[in-house]
Amino acid sequence: MIRLALICLLCIPSLASAAEREPFDDRYCTTCHGTDGRGNEGVQAPRLAGMEPWYLKRQLENYRDGIRGAHPDDIEGLAMQPMAAMLTDESIQDIIEWVGGWNYVPAEHTISGDLDAGRALYQPCATCHGADAEGNEALGAPALAGQNDWYMVTQLRNFLAGYRGVHPRDVYGAQMRVMTTGLSGENDINNVVAYINSLSD
Amino acid sequence: MVKPVSRREFLNLLAAAGGAGAVVKAGAALGIMPADAAASTLDLAAGNGRSAVILGGGISGLATGYELGKAGWDCTILEASHRCGGRIFTVRHGTLIDELGNRQYCEFDDEPHMYFNAGAARIPNTHRTLLNYCKELGVELEIFINENKTCWVQDDAMLGGKPVRNIEYTTHLRGFVAEMMVKAMHETDMDEPFTEKEAEILLGMIRSFGDLSEDDVYRGSLNAGFDSGGFLSQGVQKDVIAFRDLLKTPFAMRLLSTNEGETGPILLQARGGMDQITEGFLRQVGDRVSYRAMVASIQVRDDGVDVAYDQDGARRQIRADYCFNCIPTHLVTGFEHNFPADYVRALKHVLRGEAYKAAFQAKERFWEKQDIYGGISWMNNRSQQIWYPVAGIHRQKGVILAAYDYGGGMYHTRMTQQERVEAHLADGENVHADYRNLVEKPVTVGWHRMNHMLGCSARWRRSFREGWTGETEQHYRTLQAPVNGRHYMIGDQISMRSAWMESALLSAHWAMADLDRRLRNAPA
Repeated sequence: MIRLALICLLCIPSLASAAEREPFDDRYCTTCHGTDGRGNEGVQAPRLAGMEPWYLKRQLENYRDGIRGAHPDDIEGLAMQPMAAMLTDESIQDIIEWVGGWNYVPAEHTISGDLDAGRALYQPCATCHGADAEGNEALGAPALAGQNDWYMVTQLRNFLAGYRGVHPRDVYGAQMRVMTTGLSGENDINNVVAYINSLSD
Repeated sequence: MVKPVSRREFLNLLAAAGGAGAVVKAGAALGIMPADAAASTLDLAAGNGRSAVILGGGISGLATGYELGKAGWDCTILEASHRCGGRIFTVRHGTLIDELGNRQYCEFDDEPHMYFNAGAARIPNTHRTLLNYCKELGVELEIFINENKTCWVQDDAMLGGKPVRNIEYTTHLRGFVAEMMVKAMHETDMDEPFTEKEAEILLGMIRSFGDLSEDDVYRGSLNAGFDSGGFLSQGVQKDVIAFRDLLKTPFAMRLLSTNEGETGPILLQARGGMDQITEGFLRQVGDRVSYRAMVASIQVRDDGVDVAYDQDGARRQIRADYCFNCIPTHLVTGFEHNFPADYVRALKHVLRGEAYKAAFQAKERFWEKQDIYGGISWMNNRSQQIWYPVAGIHRQKGVILAAYDYGGGMYHTRMTQQERVEAHLADGENVHADYRNLVEKPVTVGWHRMNHMLGCSARWRRSFREGWTGETEQHYRTLQAPVNGRHYMIGDQISMRSAWMESALLSAHWAMADLDRRLRNAPA
């Protein structure tokens, strides 16, 4: 009983004291994702500027609904999940419009690798993500070119390790998980990401 | 030829000739005897209309604004959040805890002693620069009780999880250790020859360390606390806990020290909450602070620094001659900037701290009914510690720290608020039987997710045994040095001892002294 009462207190601020409460800013995105959503390696938060509205919507919904960011070893996803859990359909639309107003700045390259090996590894990826990694909305595949390379490395690792793409409702994630089985280890991941980097040079 | 005399021999000669007084005087002159402690202070040249933009209202930023302001500089402090202080954060009635995904408003009773220092909580007596500022700014201090042997020690592995008083645990531990030491003294030929006098003192020391019986066996001690009596009747000794049982818990390796790091057991705190230190600075520089001003861009030029920031839905610009920046390194990497590559590498080298704290309001001060006034109970579980408040002794209610996870993982941070609270209730119940019913109104602070900070104190990659690697120290020096002579990173993050206010202040002093020296030496 007591616990229930405590939880209620935390969730529903009483109206009487609401008037004197310190107001909060509800636009948290740039705290982690950096100026104009350019991405911040310091907190492992990817670039949002330039991200396709349909892809951003799907990921925010996935986070909100516990389809992404629920695995105990998905450290970055776990930080994102409670943020998305607060969102409504309207606030997701609001965020998409906000993000759409940001200047797109291609991410700096931080990873190098064997471009020939990377090109070969990328060929299956190109089917969905495009030969220039430009993305394909019809296939539900986002652009990769210009995204933070360290973020792509983390996500490929997450797919391979089963931290992402394992929820039964994550249809696209499951596809990605199958595709990443062609990558055997850190070197392959580095090489394919280095090749994707080269496409936005 | 004159035989050289060592410093110690010299002191002995002096003592023989002039008595102890002579030793004290000469010792101070030679730098052996302690001199009076000196805080770091600054004597800056007049600002002459120079301007500085200070990024972040943490203690290093506030101190910089205060010192430069005293020297006549034109300072502006940009603070991203609704409050200054950074990790000096006192939670009380109505406080907004702006944790990403877990926003809370504190519901503690609205009384002066009902507060929780969720970040900085202890001031070591040797942190002179901070103490000096407290004096200068009129921040009232009081003693913080860190070590209190009446508090509890609890480990599920020891005595079936039954909590024992720290004083019992440590007294018994010393007794058994002393017994072994005496045996070793008698049985072994020591490599180190002791004179009869030395051996006598050493044996006496061991016997008194462990309260041994006359036959050099440990049979318990009244120093572990009375079981009953002690005033009008004979004190009755408590039962001894077997040595084997004491060794069931790793606390054996920790509890004999009363230090807090290199200081302690004397620590201090600001009366009424650590944020009184922030308030002390704000009384001097509050009108220079611009709140909810989130930095977007830092461009270091030859003749100044351009900073862009978002405030009230608009992007604003400010230009200053110099910039002092105490924003956490891992957030600076997300700004638009024109920093050199080695500087960016160094910024990325520093890791985010993961510490976590939680607190409850207690409906009654149940610990005082167990003779506990301040101090820390130790639990060998994930909540780790319970801190009892010094503030409000014998009042009806109090605020206790319910968990302190100093980092090295994010066990609690990853939980929901409900899961965190339940974890601390379940852990605390092992020490205080009716805990669940005695506490209410929880607050939790996962520093890794606190808005505009996203981390507790900076973690430099290093080995505690081997210290800093050459590479790490190189990055540290890179960040300590100014960019183009115009932009200084400051804060406890730019020190070799992060997490302390003293480090933050010394870092700011270093930067200001460095700039001052360069300005004085510059051709007019």
